[in-house]
Amino acid sequence: MKTKTYTVEVIIENKPAARDPEGETIYKDLILKGGYESVKSVRTGKYLKVLVDANDKKQAEKIVFDMCNALRIYNPVVHTHKIRVRGFKE
Amino acid sequence: MRIAVIQFPGSNCDYDVVYVLKNVLGVPTDLVWHKFFKNNFYDAVILPGGFSYGDYLRSGAIASHSPAMDEVRKMAEDGRPILGICNGFQILIEAGLLPGALLPNDCLRFVCKWVTLKCETNKTAFTSLIPEGKLLHIPIAHKEGRYFNTKEELKRMKKGQQIVFRYVDENGKITFKANPNGSVENIASVCNPKGNVVGLMPHPERASEKILSPYKDNDGLLLFESMIRFLKC
Amino acid sequence: MVKSKTIPVKVNLSNREIKTIRRLLGREPTPAEWGMFDIMWSEHCSYKSSRPVLKKLPTTSPRVVVGPGYDSGIVDVGDGYVVAFKVESHNHPSAIEPYNGAATGIGGIVRDILATGARPILLIDPLRFGKLNTGRTKWLFRYVVKGIGDYGNCIGIPTVAGEVEFDESFETNCLVNVACYGVAKKDKIFLAKFEHPGDLLVLIGGATGRDGIHGVTFASKTIGEKSEEDRPSVQIGDPLTKKLLIEAVLEILGTGYVHGVKDLGGGGLTCATSEMAAKGGTGVEIELEKIHVREEGMNPYELLLSESQERMLLAVDPKGVDEVKRILEKYEISYSIVGKVTDTGLLVAKFRGEVVASIPPKYLAEAPIVRRKAKKPSYLKRLLNVKKPKEPEDLSETLYRLLEAPNIACKEWVYQQYDHEVGVRTILKPGNSDAAVLRILETDRAIAAKADCNSRHSYLDPFNGSAGALAEAARNVVCVGAEPLAYTDCCNFGNPENPEVFWQFKRGVEGLAYMSKALGIPCVGGNVSFYN
Repeated sequence: MKTKTYTVEVIIENKPAARDPEGETIYKDLILKGGYESVKSVRTGKYLKVLVDANDKKQAEKIVFDMCNALRIYNPVVHTHKIRVRGFKE
Repeated sequence: MRIAVIQFPGSNCDYDVVYVLKNVLGVPTDLVWHKFFKNNFYDAVILPGGFSYGDYLRSGAIASHSPAMDEVRKMAEDGRPILGICNGFQILIEAGLLPGALLPNDCLRFVCKWVTLKCETNKTAFTSLIPEGKLLHIPIAHKEGRYFNTKEELKRMKKGQQIVFRYVDENGKITFKANPNGSVENIASVCNPKGNVVGLMPHPERASEKILSPYKDNDGLLLFESMIRFLKC
Repeated sequence: MVKSKTIPVKVNLSNREIKTIRRLLGREPTPAEWGMFDIMWSEHCSYKSSRPVLKKLPTTSPRVVVGPGYDSGIVDVGDGYVVAFKVESHNHPSAIEPYNGAATGIGGIVRDILATGARPILLIDPLRFGKLNTGRTKWLFRYVVKGIGDYGNCIGIPTVAGEVEFDESFETNCLVNVACYGVAKKDKIFLAKFEHPGDLLVLIGGATGRDGIHGVTFASKTIGEKSEEDRPSVQIGDPLTKKLLIEAVLEILGTGYVHGVKDLGGGGLTCATSEMAAKGGTGVEIELEKIHVREEGMNPYELLLSESQERMLLAVDPKGVDEVKRILEKYEISYSIVGKVTDTGLLVAKFRGEVVASIPPKYLAEAPIVRRKAKKPSYLKRLLNVKKPKEPEDLSETLYRLLEAPNIACKEWVYQQYDHEVGVRTILKPGNSDAAVLRILETDRAIAAKADCNSRHSYLDPFNGSAGALAEAARNVVCVGAEPLAYTDCCNFGNPENPEVFWQFKRGVEGLAYMSKALGIPCVGGNVSFYN
C-alpha cells in the first residue's frame, strides 16, 4: 500500500483538575480587563503539528500516540492530550 | 529632577534600578506601582526587567495594556527619556513604542551570563556619554531576547541610527559566537527615531558597580549618567 | 494503609496511632478529624521517626536568634540584621513531575523564609539523579533544572549555588533539595505562633482547590509503579502569584498589624493553624466555608487538607484589617477572612455553622514518637572485602576521563539557566569559586553560602560522610573569606521502617553532631526526607 503523508495535530493541555496559571492570568488581566465580559475562561496548551508517513488514518494516529507516550511529549500526571488526524497528501 | 521606575506585577529588577539611581548616583527616584503611575511628576521613566504577568502569553504582552503605558506614551511623545530594560524592552515593543519583536532565544533556554556590547550610536538619551564603538561589559539574563525585524525595517532603522548596541566578542567583532540568543545582526538594543526611547536586553543596573562585575568595571552606569546629562541640558 | 470498617476515610496510621488518637480525644473522631491526624502524624509533617535522633544536634551559639522548630533558622549577621535560611526537599513530586515538582519546591522554601519577615535573597539547589545516559535521568534532569530556573527567575531570587550528582542509586528517586536565605532586621522578625486571642485569620494568595490532598502522605510512602496515577498529588506552581505574595507580605508585615505569619505547605490549613496555635498556647476557630476556593462543592475534609500552592496565613490585629486589605487589593491578591485566634486551647473548625473538628492543637502538632530500630547494614561487611583496583597505565587518559565525568565536569549548562545576578547582590557567582558570596545591601556586610554532600562517602560510612559534608561546606565558605556561623541540613534517606536505613540516618546525624561540636557551628534547622 502506498503511504500518504498525514497531518496529525497534538494538543496538550493541563488536566482540568490542575491549575493553569497562564490561562487564568490571560483571562483575568488581559481579556476581562479589556472589557470582554462574555468570555468565561481561558485554558492554554501546546500545539504540535506533526507530518507523518502512514498507510492509513488509523496508523498515523497510532504512530503519533505511541510516540507521545514513549518520548514523554506530554506527562500523563498533569496533562491531557488530543490527537486529531487532519488530512493527508499523497 | 525626578525619575520613576514603574513596577508591574512580576517586575523583579525594579529595586535594583532604584538602588543604582538612589544609592550610586544620588538621583531622586520613585518606585511606582503601575496602577498609580502618572507622567506629570517625572522627567524620565525606566521600565525594569523581570517577568511582568509571569511572561504569560508573550513577554510584556499583558503589561503593554496597562494604563501606565498610556502615560509612558505621552512621555515618549514629548521627548522625555524612557529606558526599557529586558522585560521593559519587551513591554515597549509590545506597546508599539519601539520597532521589531523579541522572540524566544534560539537555544530555547534561559541564558544568564556577561556579554560584551558595542555602542553603535551616541545620539540617544542614554548613550550621550558613550563614544561610538566603545565596548561595554553588561550581563544578560533572559529567555526571550532574540531581536527580530524585517530586512526593510532594519534598513530604515540603520538609516535613522536606531540600532543602539550590538553583541560583540572581546575584540569588538560582530560574530556568531558573540550572539547569545540569535538576534538578527547581533542587535541587543534599539531606539525610536527621536532617540529618547531606548530598549535593551542586557541589564545595565547589574553592571553599575565594580564589585559586581567580573571585569571590575561599571560600564552600565554610563547609561544612567547619560540620562542625567540629557536631563540637565 | 490501614482500612478499618470503622474509619470512614483512608488513613496511613498504624494501629497504635489509631488507638492513641481515640484515647486522646476520648471519643470517635469525625472524618475531618481523621484526615487531620492522618496528615499531621505523617512522617513528613511530624518527624515522628527522626525527632529523637535530631535532638543530638547542637543548636545554639551567641549568633543564633532562632533555632530549629520554626519555619526557618535565623542567625545574627551584625549591624542589626539577621539572615533566615532553610533547606527543604521535594523529591517525590519531582520524580513523577519534574518541572512542577521542582518549581513548587522553590515555592515552598521561599514561603518558609517569607514567613519570618525576611526578604528572600538567594536560592541553592543540590540535585541528584541517576546515571546521565538513561532516558529517565535526562528527562528528570532537564525538567528539574527548567522548573527551578523558570520559577526562581520569575520570582526574582537568584539561584547562586548548588550541586548536581549522577549515580544509579538515584535512578528512580531523584533528590531535589532547595535552600533559601533571606535578610531581615533583627527587631522585625516574625515567629509562626498565634499569641493574641482576637486576632483575625486572613488566608491570602491562591484560591484553594483539591490539589495535593494526601500529598504529604504520598511523600511518606515509597514510589512504586502506581505513583504516576496519583493524580491529585502534584501541584502546578504559579510564580507570578508568589512574586506578588512576596511583595504584599513584606509590605503588610511593615504595617505592624500582623502578629503571626505562616505559609501553607504540606498539611495545608490544618498544619498551619495547629502548629501556630500549639506554639502560641492558644486556640483557633475556623469557618471553612469562608475560604476562597476555585473548585465547587469542596467538603470540610478537602478544605482542611488541601495543599493548593501560593497560600499564606496571617494573624491580624482587627484594627489593621482594612490596611491589610488595601495592600492585598493593590497587588490584586485574593484573600478571605477565615476565622480568629481564640483562648480556648482548641482548634475548632466549623462548616456552615456545624462543628466538624475540635482538637487541642498540641495533639495534632506533637505526634507520638515512633522508636525505630537501627541495625548496621550487611552491605558494609561486603564492602570491606573489595579488592583494590589496578593502577591505570596511562594517568593522563584517566585524568581526561575524570574531567569528562558528569560528576566532575563543568555545570555551566545548569547555572546559566538560573538568573544568578538579579538583586544586584551577587559578588561571587556560580563557577567563580568555592562558595557564593552576596552582599547585604543595607550594610557593608556580605554572606557566603554553600551546600555540600558526599553521597558515596555517606553510603560507605554515614558517620564520617555526614561529618565530612559539614566540614567541606565550612571549608568552602572559609575559602572565600567568610566565618561559618550556622548550617541547615537536609537528610535524604530510604524507608525508616527498615532498620538498616534507620541506622544510616542515625549514624549520619551523629556524624553531623560530632563535627558541629568540633567546629562550633550550630544547626539551626533542617529537613528530613524519608522513603527515597
